[in-house]
Amino acid sequence: MIAPARGPTRVRHYACIHPETYKYFFAKHDVLAVWGRLAAIYGEPSVRPGFGVIEIQSERLILRATTGGNPITVIRTRRCTSQDVEALHRVFGFELE
Amino acid sequence: MSQFQLQFDPRSYRRTIAGKDVIIHCHHYNARVQRTLESAVAVDGRAIIRGAAETVFAEQIAQALRDADDSEPKLGVAEQLYAQLGYGRLVLTPTPQGRVHATSSHYVEGWLAGFGARDEGVCTFTEGYIQAAIWAATGELVHARERECMARGDAQCVFEIDGGRTQAIAANTKQPVAFEPRTTGEYLRSQHVDEPAIIQALVDMPIHGNAEGLIPAFSVYLANTPADYYNLICIRFVEQMSAHGRDKAAKRMLIADGETCAMNTFRGIMNSVEWEGLVAPMIHEPRDNIFALVAISNGLGWGNWHITAHPSAETIEFESLNGYEALGYREYRGRASDPTCFMLTGVAAGLLELVYGVGTIADRLGTCGTRETACISRGDATCGFAVERSQ
Repeated sequence: MIAPARGPTRVRHYACIHPETYKYFFAKHDVLAVWGRLAAIYGEPSVRPGFGVIEIQSERLILRATTGGNPITVIRTRRCTSQDVEALHRVFGFELE
Repeated sequence: MSQFQLQFDPRSYRRTIAGKDVIIHCHHYNARVQRTLESAVAVDGRAIIRGAAETVFAEQIAQALRDADDSEPKLGVAEQLYAQLGYGRLVLTPTPQGRVHATSSHYVEGWLAGFGARDEGVCTFTEGYIQAAIWAATGELVHARERECMARGDAQCVFEIDGGRTQAIAANTKQPVAFEPRTTGEYLRSQHVDEPAIIQALVDMPIHGNAEGLIPAFSVYLANTPADYYNLICIRFVEQMSAHGRDKAAKRMLIADGETCAMNTFRGIMNSVEWEGLVAPMIHEPRDNIFALVAISNGLGWGNWHITAHPSAETIEFESLNGYEALGYREYRGRASDPTCFMLTGVAAGLLELVYGVGTIADRLGTCGTRETACISRGDATCGFAVERSQ
């Protein structure tokens, strides 16, 4: 019997920039494809090898992870709207319970 | 942007951009120091901030300009420098109504994150920068005053430019200091924390403004600010408060800003992806956190400081070989009668409170106290900081 597919989960995370910061956790086999979709929409990720960080900075969202790519920390900027978050959730395949 | 290339001196840990030593601080520290100065009723804190920014950036911007260029490309260079340093996106070419504007701002982000919306504008620093930039690019003396600010809900920050100014921009007058910092000492090290790796990672990290001229890193907004600016605002604030018999209060407030900065900034850093990627694997016991955080602060240009004693979670001692506050005081005022490293004094206490304290940040604040036991500004060979838990 095949288990039903599960979407990503998230936990709240502290960041001074925005109180609504979360880490999103993905299934290992999904995460590369997720970064591919993020790159297509928000721009190519940059790599900071010294700290082992990959990152996409857009005007409204900052998406960051250690080099494994998972979990992805999502920091909202002041310009981020609820529509921006909903759009990101669609990219992630994340649904609020 | 090659004229703004970072130069890093691995012996002194100094970071230099466009001819100026720059210190990386985050929005917490910058907004809090601004609030300290502007909330003191005995002095005109806005004038101190505006005047210091004007003096320091007139010099730095001039160093970045080419004499042969017209004023328009010169203003463009000043805009690029502002963004490169992390202050935001500024458009310096005035509108026909004589206004310039900013579409993003380090100080707005800092103020909103730390204190929430404000009725008044928060871009006093930028007013000084604009005055400096217009003078450096065109030779025109102006007053810049913020009329709209994103911190109070406006769509952008708008500055009115008044050309009817006669008062010259004060020169950044410093005296050379014959001081050769010691290069080594008896320092404690953690066997787990690779301090050179942390510092090198920071040096390699592109800490400059993004498309909005902001530097979101370590879960905070960073900015590269000339040490001269911090030194001028702190020295003048203490001196002016002293004229009202309030010098002790002024020093206490500046120390508290450093302490709060350490708690918030370093908490942000310890919760950041950068920490997770490089530093967290080095942490095997709580005290490792302090060694790692000191390495990070050295990489940020705060000075070459190290731990000399750390027998328990109740006490710690530091030695600083070339702190910018002490050396800056010597350059601007000569020998001091009392220690002058307010930021490092506060940060030293904040480190102990953050790493070993319990409860919220508010619960931990004030639970440790620091005594600056020696200071280069007084003629000592190094600056020393002894921290003890008081509660």
